[in-house]
Amino acid sequence: MTRTESVTGKYIYLTVQGVEYRVYFEENGEGIPLVCQHTAGSDGRQWRHLLNDSEVTSLYRVIVFDLPYHGKSLPPESVEWWKEEYQLHKGFLLDFHVEFSRALGLERPVYIGCSMGGHLAPDLALERPDAYRAVIGVEGTAHSGHSTEIWWYHPKVSNDFRFHAMMSMMAPTSPEKYRRETSWEYSQSAPFVFKGDLYYYFAEHDVTKTAKDIDTSRIPVYVMSGEYDPAASPVEGRALSDAIKGSKFTELKGLGHFGMCENYPLFKQYLMPVLREIADKG
Amino acid sequence: MAIRFMDPAAVDGVRDYVNNDPEFKLASKYVVADILLGAGDFKCIVKVREGAISEIFLNPTFMDAWGFYIKGSEDAWSKFLQPVPPPWHQGLFGAMIRQILEVGGNLEMAFSYFWAVTRMLDLFRQAQNR
Repeated sequence: MTRTESVTGKYIYLTVQGVEYRVYFEENGEGIPLVCQHTAGSDGRQWRHLLNDSEVTSLYRVIVFDLPYHGKSLPPESVEWWKEEYQLHKGFLLDFHVEFSRALGLERPVYIGCSMGGHLAPDLALERPDAYRAVIGVEGTAHSGHSTEIWWYHPKVSNDFRFHAMMSMMAPTSPEKYRRETSWEYSQSAPFVFKGDLYYYFAEHDVTKTAKDIDTSRIPVYVMSGEYDPAASPVEGRALSDAIKGSKFTELKGLGHFGMCENYPLFKQYLMPVLREIADKG
Repeated sequence: MAIRFMDPAAVDGVRDYVNNDPEFKLASKYVVADILLGAGDFKCIVKVREGAISEIFLNPTFMDAWGFYIKGSEDAWSKFLQPVPPPWHQGLFGAMIRQILEVGGNLEMAFSYFWAVTRMLDLFRQAQNR
């Protein structure tokens, strides 16, 4: 018998900051909307295990999109994007998420994101607190400091570099086939996209002074950090959580920077109690 | 802990172990590089030539040329080479972020050849623990 998945994919047209985008998204399940944000330089395939988890999809309508310029979401037709340096900005991300929820008629979804998506969790909680039921930031920090990004888009350095740099961000105990798959996805983004996404990650995201202003009575905040993650360690994740009064921190023992795709069964052990807690609150 | 890829009694075996790996053969197919590895006071130059390590040259002098280097303390390499390394020691890039290992010299070459370099280090770990 042919194996199939119940995940469905669709395109939606969204206008964000005056530009129309054709956005690809996938979904599965019924219940509370759970919107999933992929990492910088990758795409929604990172969440395929969550999308296919019937224990999750019996409680949640899991929705995963590819940001414009990522995965199956092409650059906009109305912009001569090849004449501009691609940079992902916080304002765009915030507006995009709110518009995506509005267009799909999602009523106060739960947000989960990893890496730059983990950074976005406190940004959404701070700047769009009434739009979400709760936010879950995986591998996010208050601020990521500074980095030289030229090597992520260099004419003499191929996508192999991204592939094998990302291999070292995951736990050595995560299954090799899924570590390779995660890196495969990294090797497939357009050459300049990862570097452009890191503009938000390194330059714009900074809640070191504002995290204390997040009101967790309006929007619960969960922070999760992988033991093996060299980019956003449990030390930095806990510091972010400590700065947000009322937030909850989980150390992801045995996981690295990409829990949801490097070792989903282990990631689920940490995520499921959080999803149940949010669902129980209604 | 003796680092086997710097141990005169073991280095040829390590070289052969790496060269027998099908992934390393693919990853290094177009690589021509001399890589200086430093572990505390110990040094070697790994010469990679189009699909294989041609030589692991121990105790090079300051007159011996190399393209880029990977350096760390003996303790850093000891942890890096463990079968299941502790956090941040599991791979080169993560170790670079946390300044456990330092990569310098011709970074363009190092990052262009990152697949071959990281696979070689993975195999050094395997060879260390055989």
